[in-house]
Amino acid sequence: MASDVHENVERHPGLTPLSSTLCADPDNQRSESPAPALTQGNEPGAAQDEAMFVHAQSYEDLTGEVEVPLPQSPGPEGNVEISSMEQISEDFSKLSTQLSVSSVQSIEQNPEEDTEMGHEDAASSSSSPEGDGGSRVLDDWYQHQKHVFVLSEAGKPVYSRYRSEEALSSTAGVMMALVSFLESEKNAIRSIHAEAYKVVFVRRSPLVLVSVSHTQQSEQEISQQLLYVYYQIVSLVTGAQLHHLFQQRPSYDLRQLLSGSERITDKLLDSMDVDPSFLLGAVCCHPMIANLRDATTYCLQQAKAKSLVFSILMSNNHLVTLVRKKDQYLHPIDLHLLFNLVTSSSSFREGEAWTPVCLPKFNPSGFFHAHISYLSHKPELCLLMVSTDREDFFTASDCKRKIVERLEKKGTWTSLKEALRNPFYDVTQIGIPELRHFLYKSKSSGLLTSPAMVAPYDTDREKRRLVELYQYLHGRAHCSARPLTTIYHMGAHENILAWVTEAFELYVCFSPLGTKSSAVNGVSRLLRWIRKEEDRLFILSSPTY
Amino acid sequence: MSGQRVDCKVVMLGKESVGKTSLVERYVHHRFLQGPYQNTIGAAFVAKSMNVGGRIVTLGIWDTAGSERYEAMSRIYYRGAKAAIVCYDLTDLSSFERVKFWVNELQNFEEHCRIYICGTKIDLIENDKSRRQVDFHDVQDYADEIKAHLCETSSKTGHSVDELFQKVAEDFVNYSDFQVQTEPKGVDLTQKRDLSSYSCCHH
Repeated sequence: MASDVHENVERHPGLTPLSSTLCADPDNQRSESPAPALTQGNEPGAAQDEAMFVHAQSYEDLTGEVEVPLPQSPGPEGNVEISSMEQISEDFSKLSTQLSVSSVQSIEQNPEEDTEMGHEDAASSSSSPEGDGGSRVLDDWYQHQKHVFVLSEAGKPVYSRYRSEEALSSTAGVMMALVSFLESEKNAIRSIHAEAYKVVFVRRSPLVLVSVSHTQQSEQEISQQLLYVYYQIVSLVTGAQLHHLFQQRPSYDLRQLLSGSERITDKLLDSMDVDPSFLLGAVCCHPMIANLRDATTYCLQQAKAKSLVFSILMSNNHLVTLVRKKDQYLHPIDLHLLFNLVTSSSSFREGEAWTPVCLPKFNPSGFFHAHISYLSHKPELCLLMVSTDREDFFTASDCKRKIVERLEKKGTWTSLKEALRNPFYDVTQIGIPELRHFLYKSKSSGLLTSPAMVAPYDTDREKRRLVELYQYLHGRAHCSARPLTTIYHMGAHENILAWVTEAFELYVCFSPLGTKSSAVNGVSRLLRWIRKEEDRLFILSSPTY
Repeated sequence: MSGQRVDCKVVMLGKESVGKTSLVERYVHHRFLQGPYQNTIGAAFVAKSMNVGGRIVTLGIWDTAGSERYEAMSRIYYRGAKAAIVCYDLTDLSSFERVKFWVNELQNFEEHCRIYICGTKIDLIENDKSRRQVDFHDVQDYADEIKAHLCETSSKTGHSVDELFQKVAEDFVNYSDFQVQTEPKGVDLTQKRDLSSYSCCHH
């Protein structure tokens, strides 16, 4: 399958003139710059004056600053030398067979079966000798598509996506052996590729994060997800505390401190599998008439307090508005973590919550305190206020009261509720035949817009498949060895055009019956539409208190 | 939720999963939510007014997370509390050991906080007596020793829940009436000690 897709992916020279036709567009008031392309800062969705977020370039930002695991080693691109690979291959084969279940024997027994079938077969045959329930549970465990493990550097388990620490204890040893073996050679292990499996390592002292997966995702994307998990853990305990604990006691068992938070990390991993905003490192905006958004923002701006840094309104993981303290910028990753925290627990749904939270990209060394409350459940509207003072609950609570009062008094509340009823717009209103879905990220603002996934992407399975395709194309576009700016992917079920420029990223899904030229035409119409609607689709200003 | 004034700050303490949130849920919303256990993150605040002998008393209830991760922060939640409801699970002996930890903490840092020890999930024991791990009389002796009030509740059935909070409010009124002889009613004398229990901005 992978090679099939590969055939269809090509650097498409025919697309190059597209950017010039686009920029010559007379409707396009905000981009007067001539060809060859829109420059960053005046693409559709770019902020008018100042960006709301810390400038973030998708995961280049993430992967670009990966800590060098060993300060003394220059780290030659992390490519594991072949000789060391051979040395460790024996160790690894044990790990691989344990995790993949597709034991060597079973493949030998059924050489004619394709690998997918082979796995299932192996699973049932290996459980038959024991025949007890326990091993079947373990077999199910091995079947998961993407395992994620977090270990301490001493090899103690910290988190496992699908639990089962018994199974983990033996594999943890192997994983740590791999990491430290290569480190002793002043190298860092990044990934192991075996059959359809990828084992990806991310080392963020004092933690080691490992993913064992058989998905289409690229290594880069998996390590990005592992980094998210790392940030998630930091957001619960702060980076400072994390380092302090392990410095004091390298054998510290972090699970104690994290107990009860597994659900938050689980939710994060589940969301990353289906929500493209993580993939693009951008924040989804809730579409809304600019006047209404401004009026809402004004209510947040008026309720200020000395200790408040950010006031945020969120609805169904979409950003409604964000007000920040002057000169303070939130990072999209921190906002994703906040959204994830709020949505992963029902404990915020009643009353007002006041919880310590670390925003690792903003400042990993300390806690902020977040005031979290729902202003409405149907439609969902959640208010988050981030404060620097842990004693200031009642100040924040008072701000909340003022915000609600103001929203009600100005009549904004009724229209806001109406606008929140549907977080998505319908792709058919754009009027481009064969257009089914798209993702558009404005790089300078870090904001993302995307229509509803309608039929045929209205089942979980199809939604997931489309996101996996986006992931695959994103991985191709950002492959560090050979990045691509335009990709036209032709599949049995849809055609997707991916276009990455300095200013934006665009992934457009068309019906499989369309042609390449109609797709190119469609994309340029789509960009014009996004430009025309940008003040509704995006948050163009970056308000402060 | 209008500018609420909290008369009496109440803090819920206890080991995780003993049912502090369920207790508050039962008292405030008169319901018991079935379903998978959801741990509290940080702490949740909710205010509820009640009538004690013709006087309206607003309880400001802090439902704290039982997780160890938040232990270092717990002081901000119980500081200035007039009452602490320290919960344990009647079917889990280790949860009673945590009660002693919290009682110690309160005695050291909040000596004016009245302590209510609350056994939870009594419905489980009514169905199966053998599940009780914490003896009533042992806890009663302990409660007498630290001058705490003791009750056994069920958030599922509502058993003794309203009575517990009623008792907290009554004690608060009786105690503050005794203190507030000359002041007009409703003014919180402890303002100096307890800035955080006021919602109005005065600084």
